[in-house]
Amino acid sequence: MIALQNVCKKYGEKIAVDNLSIIFDQGTVSVLVGPSGCGKTTTLRMINRMVEADTGEIRIRGRSINEYNPVMLRRAMGYVIQEVGLFPHYTVYDNIAVIPRLLKWNDARIHKRVMELLDLVTLDESFCEEYPVQLSGGERQRVGLARALAADPDILLMDEPFGAIDPINRITLQDTLIDIQERIQKTIVLVTHDINEALKVGDRIAIMNEGTLVRYDTPENILFEPGGKLVEMLLGHDRNLKALSLRKTSNFIEKSGFSTVSPEDSNETIQRIFEGKEERVVFIIDSEEKMVGRYHCVVESGEGCSVMKSDDPVYIEKSANLSEALSKMLESGEKVLPVVSSKKRLLGVVTLSSLFDEMSRESDRSNT
Amino acid sequence: MSLFTYIIEHSNEITVLVVQHGIIFLISIIPAIFFGVALSIIVTREGREKQGNRLLTITAAAQSVPSVAVVAIVFIFVGVGALPAVIALFMYSLVPIVFNATSGMLSISSEVVEAAKGIGFTNRQVLWKVKIPLAVPVIMAGVRSAATINVGTATVASFIGGGGLGDLIFMGIKLYRSDMIFSGSLIVGLLAIVIDALLRLLEVKLIPGSLREKVAG
Repeated sequence: MIALQNVCKKYGEKIAVDNLSIIFDQGTVSVLVGPSGCGKTTTLRMINRMVEADTGEIRIRGRSINEYNPVMLRRAMGYVIQEVGLFPHYTVYDNIAVIPRLLKWNDARIHKRVMELLDLVTLDESFCEEYPVQLSGGERQRVGLARALAADPDILLMDEPFGAIDPINRITLQDTLIDIQERIQKTIVLVTHDINEALKVGDRIAIMNEGTLVRYDTPENILFEPGGKLVEMLLGHDRNLKALSLRKTSNFIEKSGFSTVSPEDSNETIQRIFEGKEERVVFIIDSEEKMVGRYHCVVESGEGCSVMKSDDPVYIEKSANLSEALSKMLESGEKVLPVVSSKKRLLGVVTLSSLFDEMSRESDRSNT
Repeated sequence: MSLFTYIIEHSNEITVLVVQHGIIFLISIIPAIFFGVALSIIVTREGREKQGNRLLTITAAAQSVPSVAVVAIVFIFVGVGALPAVIALFMYSLVPIVFNATSGMLSISSEVVEAAKGIGFTNRQVLWKVKIPLAVPVIMAGVRSAATINVGTATVASFIGGGGLGDLIFMGIKLYRSDMIFSGSLIVGLLAIVIDALLRLLEVKLIPGSLREKVAG
């Protein structure tokens, strides 16, 4: 969809982009990531001709971007920047309506589109008459996103879009982006310096350094087979934990190896379970199989253990990823963690040892 | 009370002087506004920030040149009469307008301009839809400043035969008539206040809604 071939850009003596060739496929989120000065922003800005490439070809759907008037090219693409750049003298409505108005849409169509977009970026209609100065950073960037998508471009270019947002809202915005992409399937090229963001939102990640492309692959492949010092460094020492975040808990549920009792069962029943098996925890479930608590077997000096009841059930939802499961295990000290459905029904357990097995399986894969 | 009787008794002559004063004011300030704003637009085009900053330094220094000096220099080159007065006032008013307008255009956030370009505005659209509306508060402050200074400086122009209320003041000085001096000065002062008030009304109309609160009073 977007193809760069042998693209170079120099600023004086400094080479910003060095003979870059890369293809961004239609309907995917491609993330450009790398250390400062690696050329990722320059590359992005060459696509909409905010920066003109020195040499090389950039084609969109096979046609060179130089065949188009730059202004027309940009109107056909969405552009989101870190500082957002909303027009301070326009209301939210007017900001979003900017491009449709440039394209001379009629008022009714514009109104409908603005409302659709506000819904898409999860902003309430009451924001229409507000001015940017009255909005928070996260809200502003949502408007920025809506503005970029207003004319329904096929391509969306994003330059560190969430870099200036506080960490909590950044996560919400990333989730919003993922949601939006599921609904509208644009071709998105996103620049970020945050490897975690890249892993989270990217379908493919292009790692750049000093103007060249070092690696271009899926998050999975990069995590499990970094293939180089730079990539390893970028991924961080905790890349195995990051790899866990790509795995869904629902795929690792074990249905055996634990016992359940109902709230009515007597202490003797529970004592017998503890004596008979090696388990230390028994889960209490009600008639609808929902978790309501657990019993611990606390080992005391000598033989036997005393049974401690806790009404606070510790569990993880099946929609969580393995990294979150591990975190819960560390938090609760439980090596065997119940997995529940969204309605809190007990589905099975996930164990610490199965996590270890998974991690070592993947690292075997990367060592071969 | 002799001050007010003077004004009332000589209201016809005074009206003529006020009109003269007003004409000199308008003929000098309106071109100054157009040229000044146009110059600031040219000098702050994309990539030319250095030019803009240089102009800013020059005009900042020029603001300290006394009006009498400007009038005198124009007199040397052009002579006496209304024309040299207008030229001198034009040049003198140009300085605060250019200073403010350039400063205003330069102070516009680059990310707003970047976003405007990136979403597909032509350079002209960036200028008229984004840069100028955002610079209007500062430009208008410069225009108001230039206008009030102009009205006052026009009195000095009567030195070189420009006419206007300066004639009344200087005649009063020569004849040791304090009522003439006061009348002239008072009316010039009132004129300045009225013009400033009118320009403030204009300013409120021109400033985009969201920026209005910042310019209260």
